[in-house]
Amino acid sequence: MIGRSILRGPRPGEAGAFLLVVIIAVAVIAAFPLFWMVLSSLKTPAESMQTPPVWFPSTPNLDAFSEVAEVIDARRSFLNSFIIATTTTAGILITSLMAGYAFAKYRFGGRDWLFALVIATMFLPPIVTLIPLYRLVTSMGFNASLVGVIVPHLANAFGIFLMRQFIAGVPDDLIDAARVDGASELRIVLSVVAPAVAPALAALALFAFVYHWNTYLWPLTVLQGNTDGYPIVLSLGRLLSYNRGAMNTGLVMAGATLAVLPPLVLFVFLQRFFVDSIVGAGVKG
Amino acid sequence: MNAVSRFWIAAAAAAALSPLTAQAEEVRLTYLTHWAPDTVALLEEAANAYTADHPDVSISVRAVPFGDLLTTIRSGGSDGPTIASIYDLWLPALAKDGLVAPAPEPVAEEVTSEWPAGIAAAASVNGQVYGIPNEINVYALNYNKRLFEEAGIAEPPRTWQELEDAAAKLTDEASGRQGFGMINSWAAGVDHPFASLLVSNGGQLIADGKPQIDSEAALETFKLYQTMVEKGYSVPAMGTSDANTTGPFLDNFVSGKTGMIIMANWWESALKGGMGADFGNVGTAPIPVGPSGETARSISYSWLTVVNAGGGAAQQEAAWDFLAWLNGPESGENGASAMAGILQSMGILPSRSSDVEAYADALGRPFLEGYVSTLANAQGFPIVLGGQEFSEALQQVIEQLQYGQITAEEAQANAQADAASILERASR
Amino acid sequence: MLTPAVSVIAVFIFVPMALTIWLSFHEWSTQTGFGAARYVGLRNYEDLFGPISVGRDFQRAFLNTANYTALSVLIILPLSVLFGLMVHQRRVAGGHVLRAILFSTYMVPMIAVALVWSKLYSPTEGPINQVLSWIGIGPQPWLSSPDTALFSIVILNVWQQIGYFTVLVIAGLTQISPSLYEAARIDGANRIQEFFGVTLPLLRRTLLFSAVIAVINAVQVFEPVALITQGGPANATNVLTFHIRRVGIERAQGGLGSAMAVMLMLSLIVIIALLFATARQKEER
Repeated sequence: MIGRSILRGPRPGEAGAFLLVVIIAVAVIAAFPLFWMVLSSLKTPAESMQTPPVWFPSTPNLDAFSEVAEVIDARRSFLNSFIIATTTTAGILITSLMAGYAFAKYRFGGRDWLFALVIATMFLPPIVTLIPLYRLVTSMGFNASLVGVIVPHLANAFGIFLMRQFIAGVPDDLIDAARVDGASELRIVLSVVAPAVAPALAALALFAFVYHWNTYLWPLTVLQGNTDGYPIVLSLGRLLSYNRGAMNTGLVMAGATLAVLPPLVLFVFLQRFFVDSIVGAGVKG
Repeated sequence: MNAVSRFWIAAAAAAALSPLTAQAEEVRLTYLTHWAPDTVALLEEAANAYTADHPDVSISVRAVPFGDLLTTIRSGGSDGPTIASIYDLWLPALAKDGLVAPAPEPVAEEVTSEWPAGIAAAASVNGQVYGIPNEINVYALNYNKRLFEEAGIAEPPRTWQELEDAAAKLTDEASGRQGFGMINSWAAGVDHPFASLLVSNGGQLIADGKPQIDSEAALETFKLYQTMVEKGYSVPAMGTSDANTTGPFLDNFVSGKTGMIIMANWWESALKGGMGADFGNVGTAPIPVGPSGETARSISYSWLTVVNAGGGAAQQEAAWDFLAWLNGPESGENGASAMAGILQSMGILPSRSSDVEAYADALGRPFLEGYVSTLANAQGFPIVLGGQEFSEALQQVIEQLQYGQITAEEAQANAQADAASILERASR
Repeated sequence: MLTPAVSVIAVFIFVPMALTIWLSFHEWSTQTGFGAARYVGLRNYEDLFGPISVGRDFQRAFLNTANYTALSVLIILPLSVLFGLMVHQRRVAGGHVLRAILFSTYMVPMIAVALVWSKLYSPTEGPINQVLSWIGIGPQPWLSSPDTALFSIVILNVWQQIGYFTVLVIAGLTQISPSLYEAARIDGANRIQEFFGVTLPLLRRTLLFSAVIAVINAVQVFEPVALITQGGPANATNVLTFHIRRVGIERAQGGLGSAMAVMLMLSLIVIIALLFATARQKEER
């Protein structure tokens, strides 16, 4: 795709050349922080303390990465991140599919009112409910555990909204035919509706996964220092205190590199899905 | 659909049932600290030595950044860590909310008899002992001997006038060097050096539960700050700190861009780590005496370990037993406690009298000697209900002064009014 | 069908929301059960607007959040249109690469963004001041001065989020029918007139949506403040999410923290309503 546009692109004139320079400049600036992160992770501690800064490590090495594994339980942190992200995503898919179906295809009193109420929560920053929510989850006994991190997020308004938008486009005939065949409503959702909106589901899954891989405030609040349950983003914060902060730049950058990799790899391979889903939600919204 | 939602919650629970939620028959203790991973390893070693003799007890150590420590303790409730390392300022509020358990009689007696009275008092509320003190930190003036030599200053300053003169000579705008470093963005790093100067000027922050910031001595201290900033001897942007109490203020002293700074003994390990061979350049001197003061004084604060009042009886009993051992003369080398060994690895002063004795030689090393000698004239940072909020409010006022946003007079008026309202609010 | 989603949202969003409002009229230690709350009428609100440190800190945090939000939106919206046009144009190649690079930063966990940028901003060992010195600009204090700290965090926020908003704009651009441009050209419009006459008016809905999302995202800023600046220097980066958590959970002043959360919510409602009203007004014209 990229190659094609380079090959077939129109011959740039003077304005075109200027535009190209601007595009390259923006791309370089945008990519620079991550580039610097990777470079720094390969430097020796002395190199990262030097003034003016050294750009390219003289002897690139992975020492900082093996040190990360010593300082934090990196495998455990990745596992926790994985558990949190996948479980939450699975929950969101199921609940959004079902609720989206109900809002799109059922007729019942107060439906639009309830839908509006649910959608309104999309605009609510988490901090507004953090204090009582934290107390509530604690009194349920879910604090300091992954259950407490996951359970409150098993459904969200964005997912319901997205699913309703797409399910509304599924022909009623298809659903009625399944009903005639005697399929239960849950069965219809799973075997008729879900396949029909598969691309949207995939996009929702990607977004939910990345969001819950990256989320920081709620796990920090609910895990209460139980480092055994820390996802990688929380463990990163612990790296800063290593060596009481002196000469730890390489270590911190190596940790950041590790944490960035999974969502970034996911993005590189599934870029289209991400972009299409934003476009889809925007257009249909 | 209830079945389905139950299914999902159950699935989530099953997936998350990592060992951390498992409950075994044995007594499980968790020990919460803000120490860095390398120090945590030493604590785990000590814990392993204890559990080897007590197979029915298991101890796991949790570590969070300093900035998250109080939140973690507060939010833990009965499922929180069994043992927590706390800063003495937090004790009154934690005791008032019933979060920490009173020490059993034998432990309380040991604390009162084996620790200096002032430190034992900081581990008590209304005469009841709540924890076992471990580290004590005190503030002194650190200065860079090489820079002093270059600037032709023979001796570390003993008075505020000398402090100002030395700062003037050390400041070199062209090479980005400040004479006197002042920390910001971290409450204790802002308040403690200020309070050290204040008490060395014959003043007090709080006495008998009442704020004393409206004194002439306090105004003079605020004015000293204003002078330092206005004359450019102190560059506030060079003194920022991050959530782990490190950052530019440390980097600048390490790299010789700060001539003098008032800091606590615990940063020895950070200085050593950052300076390497140049660490020998660091000198330690008493806090300079102000115009209204008579002698060099300082501020100290201590840390102690407390036991979660929400834990079960067996847990609490095991926790106190472990703590008594960890801080007792049996656990370490040469009659010192294992705790003292861990603290010494960080350059921190132990507080138990027998530990101080056991480490007499180590405490005599040049860097620490200056600190140990100020300890006799140090007083604790005021420990009152609302203390954390008070210290954060004072921090904001001092930072505004550091950045030239308010005058010394305004700073004094605000600090006094804030303190009065916070202390009043906390006690009702 | 609705039960799973609605029950999760009800228990973990609606109930805490109601509790936040209720608690704001009470004095309550976050450490105790809800039953221990003591009714104090409007006292928490009075304190928030009072002259002592409780009020001063809140007012400063509120102002900081407002500035932060306004700056973020004012930078993100024009930039996203500019970048969107750069990606959407077909004159020169590189649009797709630019889109991929811009959007990839959106995948990076905020905590890693904060860590990396804190090192980029380092006054002496950081590359930003070094690059500035090459073009004759003296060292900037960035995060260490109250004059620049908040803006420095805005920049890293823009860097992280711009890709998402750019893609939204691209989605909007693809919806504009090419025939409109042809018509404009026949009328003799130049490129600038074309932009203001066709592109911008037709992007209005997209930009309204962008603005709302940007506002909601901006008030959630937490990681860089919690990890790097702790609200300093001199309260310059103390934003509401950080401050409410500090008061409500760290200091356990649950009532006071809830009152702050209510103020945040009310302001958001007003701002979002205003955004919609302006957009509608323009549409009518």
